[in-house]
Amino acid sequence: MPDLTRLPPVVARRRAGVRSHADLLSTPIIVLLGGAAVALWVSTRKLDDIETRALQPSAILSDLGQHLILTAYSTFFVIVIAVPLGILLSRQGARRIRNVVLAVSGFAQALPPYGVLVLIAFAPAPFGFNPFSVIAGLVAAALLPVLRNTVVGLRQVDPALIEAARGMGMSARATLFRVELPLAVPVMMAGIRVALVLNVGTAVLATFVGGGGLGSLIVRAQTLNRPIVLVTAGAIVAALALMVDWLAGVAERLVRARTS
Amino acid sequence: MSRATTNPGGSADRPPDQQPMIVLEGVSKTYPGHLTPAVAEVDLAVARGSIVMLVGPSGCGKTTTLKMMNRLIEPTTGRILLDGEDVTKVNADQLRRRIGYVIQQVGLFPHFTVGQNIGVVPRMLGWERRRIRQRIDELLELVGLPPGEFRDRYPRQLSGGQQQRVGVARALAADPPVMLMDEPFGAIDPITRERLHDQFLEIQRTVRKTICFVTHDLQEAIKLGDHIAIFAAGGRIAQYDTPEMILSRPANDFVREFVGSGAAVRRLHLIALSTLALDKIATGSSATAGAHPVIEVDGSGRPVAWIRVPGVDGSPALATVPLSGSVYDAVDAMLDAHSSAVAVVDGDGRAVGALRWEALVGELQMRGRHR
Ligand SMILES: Nc1ncnc2c1ncn2[C@@H]1O[C@H](COP(=O)(O)OP(=O)(O)O)[C@@H](O)[C@H]1O
Ligand SMILES: [Mg+2]
Repeated sequence: MPDLTRLPPVVARRRAGVRSHADLLSTPIIVLLGGAAVALWVSTRKLDDIETRALQPSAILSDLGQHLILTAYSTFFVIVIAVPLGILLSRQGARRIRNVVLAVSGFAQALPPYGVLVLIAFAPAPFGFNPFSVIAGLVAAALLPVLRNTVVGLRQVDPALIEAARGMGMSARATLFRVELPLAVPVMMAGIRVALVLNVGTAVLATFVGGGGLGSLIVRAQTLNRPIVLVTAGAIVAALALMVDWLAGVAERLVRARTS
Repeated sequence: MSRATTNPGGSADRPPDQQPMIVLEGVSKTYPGHLTPAVAEVDLAVARGSIVMLVGPSGCGKTTTLKMMNRLIEPTTGRILLDGEDVTKVNADQLRRRIGYVIQQVGLFPHFTVGQNIGVVPRMLGWERRRIRQRIDELLELVGLPPGEFRDRYPRQLSGGQQQRVGVARALAADPPVMLMDEPFGAIDPITRERLHDQFLEIQRTVRKTICFVTHDLQEAIKLGDHIAIFAAGGRIAQYDTPEMILSRPANDFVREFVGSGAAVRRLHLIALSTLALDKIATGSSATAGAHPVIEVDGSGRPVAWIRVPGVDGSPALATVPLSGSVYDAVDAMLDAHSSAVAVVDGDGRAVGALRWEALVGELQMRGRHR
């Protein structure tokens, strides 16, 4: 079996020249301009009753809130599960099982998220058509990037540093927390960013298994057959995905600057 | 430094400060899955405050032997005593905090400043902040890196030689009685390495640690070691002796071959210039008559050029060598300058004497006869 830890870590986007941070401005500017354009277009149109009701800020905000909660919970559980598991798999003793676990989770990753959601929704209680299933599905779909990047991030720490730490009398645990993890954090952050963006996107499907979120807004827009509602809903989902990715990118760059 | 005893180990009825600091008794290591041992039945005793060099071709078990001393590797058989105490009986992490450890790759933590790197062991030992800070500055001074300039830098902002000096400072941080060094200067360019060697001996004169030092470079072993253990393939010690004895009385064919044909030249490293009777020199521009070489010096007493050297036609090119150096350095300087005399200078660069080729050869002949 190929050594899966040799694969390059999952990285959301590669940018040359990390030194300049001017590129960080482009995403917020695009989101602001796009948002302003859509808002302008909506405000110049005469809305009928149905459209007004569908575009009520309170309804949109409630969907957005649900969406963010689903994303936050699922990302939280991805981290809570994948990081400790990745740490365990990165230990010397886990050499054999490491590749097996990474291969299996790689296979799980390849399944379409929608299929995973539906499968879980039809599973017995506590699964079913509820937010719990949605979060379980999202977690399953986004586990691998964090798991693999945790393993890769820890395995790429220079063995000489670990030997120096142990040779000075640092315990294995202190070496992990004071040397290995701090040096692996940038790579781990890149994986978490991928998981986060994946979750924001996949959470749109939550509405089909009783989970709510911005997917509900889109479904409503489709059943109403009102293009203006559909465009607004799409713009909100796109803006959210871009901003979440942007925030995670900023955070990633902050830790990278602190540790390298 | 004591070069006197050939067997620094020995009986328990010596006074405690003469008991060896490190003792290996029949120590072997066979790695799991290997048929032959990497280290076989090694006996070694290292005297307190002395430097023992473990030398030998690569793969002959030097690193394994060193790592068994701080239990990064557990021996398969045998006993290792540190200051009379069996190391296999104590907590490994606590043991290692009492043993300085320096490796070729240095292993400075890139996310720690130089100061934080040096402070790692004191912090684990629960020292007060102020004491740690003082110690960091003290050690940076010791290794010749001004604390104000280097304390808050990150390792990547240092040259290789500077990093290795921080590595030595880090190992010295909690003032451990024992230092283990695994090819610490192996990845450093030859010129910087020479400087680090001199500085290392200088530091050792003040700190007086018991040091085990692994190298594959016989030259380095001769220069730094009080004793040398020559390892042969299969993890056996082929000879354990002083540098003089290794060079002049190789115990077996393996050592003879390892020492090679350059033994006579290498022995020149072992004769300190300060132990030779140097020619007195006359200074000034006046061509004073007499048997002494005459040298022109500048205002602060530093040599500028030879005016006259007895027994040499004309005035030879000026070569200088520090008094702290060896005959090897003096010969090297003469050959380099195509000159048959060299001016010996003190720490401030002032001329204190001269060494002429003829006189040197005469002296070596004398020494050879007395041996
Ligand atoms: N961790 C290890 N596992 C198995 N074999 C090893 C290990 N470390 C070293 N060896 C083997 O033990 C022998 C001695 O190695 P080492 O002590 O590193 O030699 P040296 O430092 O003299 O070059 C070599 O043959 C090497 O391949
Ligand atoms: Mg080695």
